[in-house]
Amino acid sequence: MPDIRLEHIDFSFRDKTIFSDFSYHFKPEKTYGIIGPTGCGKTSLLRLIAGLETPDTGSIFIDDKLVSQGNKIIIPPYQRSIGFVFQDLALWPHFNVYKNIAFALKSTGKENEQAVKDLLERLNLEAHSHQYPHQLSGGQKQLLALARALVLKPNLLLLDEPMSNLDVPIKKEILSHLFQLQEEARFSMLFVTHDIREILAKIDTILVLEKGKLLFSQKPEELIKIKHPFVQSFF
Amino acid sequence: MGRKSIKYRFAYPFAIGLFLVFVLPVFFLAYTYLFKKEELSIQLIEHIHFTLLIKSIILSGTTALVATSIGAFFGFLLYKTTIRFRSFYHFILLIPLLLPPYVIAVAWKDVWIFGTNHSYLTMVKLVFVQTLIYFPLATLISGNAFLQINQSIDEAGLMLMPFKKMIFKILLPLIRPALSISFILIFIFSIGDFSVPAFFGIKTITTEIFTQFSAFYNYQTAIGESVILMLIVLSVLFFERNYLSDLPFLSVSSKGSKSKNYPLNSIRIHLVFWIVIMLIITPMGVLLRQSVSGNSQYIIKAVQMVLPGFGQSFLWAFLGAVFINIIGFIAAYFKERRHFSLPSSLLLMTFIIPSIVYGISLIGFYNRPVFNFLYGTPLIILIGYIGSFSFIASRIIGHAFQQIPISIEEVAAMMGIKPFDVYKKIIFPLLIPSLFASFVIAFILSINELGVTILVYPPGTKLIPIRLFTLSANAPLALTSSMTFVILMVNLILIILLYGIGKQLLKKYTYA
Repeated sequence: MPDIRLEHIDFSFRDKTIFSDFSYHFKPEKTYGIIGPTGCGKTSLLRLIAGLETPDTGSIFIDDKLVSQGNKIIIPPYQRSIGFVFQDLALWPHFNVYKNIAFALKSTGKENEQAVKDLLERLNLEAHSHQYPHQLSGGQKQLLALARALVLKPNLLLLDEPMSNLDVPIKKEILSHLFQLQEEARFSMLFVTHDIREILAKIDTILVLEKGKLLFSQKPEELIKIKHPFVQSFF
Repeated sequence: MGRKSIKYRFAYPFAIGLFLVFVLPVFFLAYTYLFKKEELSIQLIEHIHFTLLIKSIILSGTTALVATSIGAFFGFLLYKTTIRFRSFYHFILLIPLLLPPYVIAVAWKDVWIFGTNHSYLTMVKLVFVQTLIYFPLATLISGNAFLQINQSIDEAGLMLMPFKKMIFKILLPLIRPALSISFILIFIFSIGDFSVPAFFGIKTITTEIFTQFSAFYNYQTAIGESVILMLIVLSVLFFERNYLSDLPFLSVSSKGSKSKNYPLNSIRIHLVFWIVIMLIITPMGVLLRQSVSGNSQYIIKAVQMVLPGFGQSFLWAFLGAVFINIIGFIAAYFKERRHFSLPSSLLLMTFIIPSIVYGISLIGFYNRPVFNFLYGTPLIILIGYIGSFSFIASRIIGHAFQQIPISIEEVAAMMGIKPFDVYKKIIFPLLIPSLFASFVIAFILSINELGVTILVYPPGTKLIPIRLFTLSANAPLALTSSMTFVILMVNLILIILLYGIGKQLLKKYTYA
């Protein structure tokens, strides 16, 4: 399970400084929640760890291996054992449910029909395996994105506000699937969200970001007690 | 492979290649005229027919204004209302854009007052026909801009003011960039158009350049006028280059629009559509009547005369469309996925330059022994096609790229799927409708191209537009009309066939 270190990261996007000398150490086998207002750098943080962006300066280590440094990707995203659930889910619209999950296995020479079937069964998607993403409900799409991200058995799962548009009961159902899978497969999670309350019970540490700066990094029960108006606004 | 390495290994060599083959001839033309001789200012004044230039600017400005206004009107009706027969109207209204301009010119030559040769009517004649040809472009551009306006914006306006006022106060100002682009593009196409004024026998700056170059062999004057025309076009382009370089031209999108549609089924509006449809189909009837009047043998003779050109025209247009799509795809990829827009900008430059001027540039640059393998062969025609139309392909495909979220590629990259597989299995299938549309448009534009090919075609090349243009100079009207009618029919069959295939493809590859 990965141990992630970001050291002295400077990062700008479209000429806007997102992080300036940002450092943090994500410990293994934990679930982190990342909160903060729009534009504070939550998504950028996930993308830097995933290797989809490179820092302008600074280094990123995963399990003590240097994965990004300066403007260079040392270890490409697919070799980092990371699953990513994007905000827009990024489902492949021309593949059916089964193929959306199986495609990565097939393309990387790890074809495993049973693994796909197991995931479909676990996430109640079996009956929809021949349907296309546009034929699914919002919740089913989320589950499909989750299944696809987990099919390669990553050590770390990054979730970028994947449930922002769902009703509360559906969110609860998906989260119960997610945390059950996490318990079994023991992957770490970084969870970017606007509504931390929905995952509060399952979170080990909450990071509060504002304008690219880390305001707090606390256990949920400690963070709730902090009488900071900005922090309180999230509870 | 990192982003920078892709840029240096592939993007820059690609841009340099485009520059050397397609853009350098244009700079070379300007350089040889402006800097190789002394007393530049005197030369310019001596060589430019200023009255003709001003006349051309006024004509093109009027055409652009009228065509943009009409185009925006139909853009609203076709893209913002639920009027019945919308698809049918849309299809018919696009036809003039896909037909060779000279076909419409020949067809209208003897209709109504245009048959007379009163000098004051020549301007009306040109503006009318060019408006008919170019207003669909404004319809497409403004229609796509209307589609970008979110439903809530209309509704917020409707809460405050009546429908008509909302259109003028909210919707039209919102699509102002699209209207400006329509105006500028139509102005540039109109001032650079050679075929319509040539077939009407109207003197404009482009026909003057052609006459000086091909009839009087007065190269210096022709080049001087070309350079001036080029400078006018490029300076117009400069002001709106950012909007122009992002123009979608044609959106083959599988994504649903969130724009508001208004129910409309007024008889008067249907009548307006039918008047325009009549204006579009009347010339076809006129051509048929002219073809069979007098001697019915003319149709057979026309087929015999045009037929030898079909094989070569299809072959070179097909090859042209293939290369245009490949270059357009690469340029679109670099612009949309690597934020490297130099190739697109270079293609925009050659696209915007009037065809006659581009033809002269190609002659001036490639007509030397070292390029005999190009200039003496139909390859020079391919260069003309690619330089003239690749920008359109790059924008159609580029717009399709914009519709595919980058996260779709990123998620594949995260999972270790090879970039080749990502493009083959994921991106390419999603681009198929747009690739097909851009191929069809490139093919039709290439097969009908006259301005460049009339100047650069090597001996022995038989292309349909050139045969029509050269034969029509001495042939009786009935024969010219017959040839035009044959070409028109071939074009229409082609358009209907490809439209049908396109619809099937869109149905098969739409995921929404």
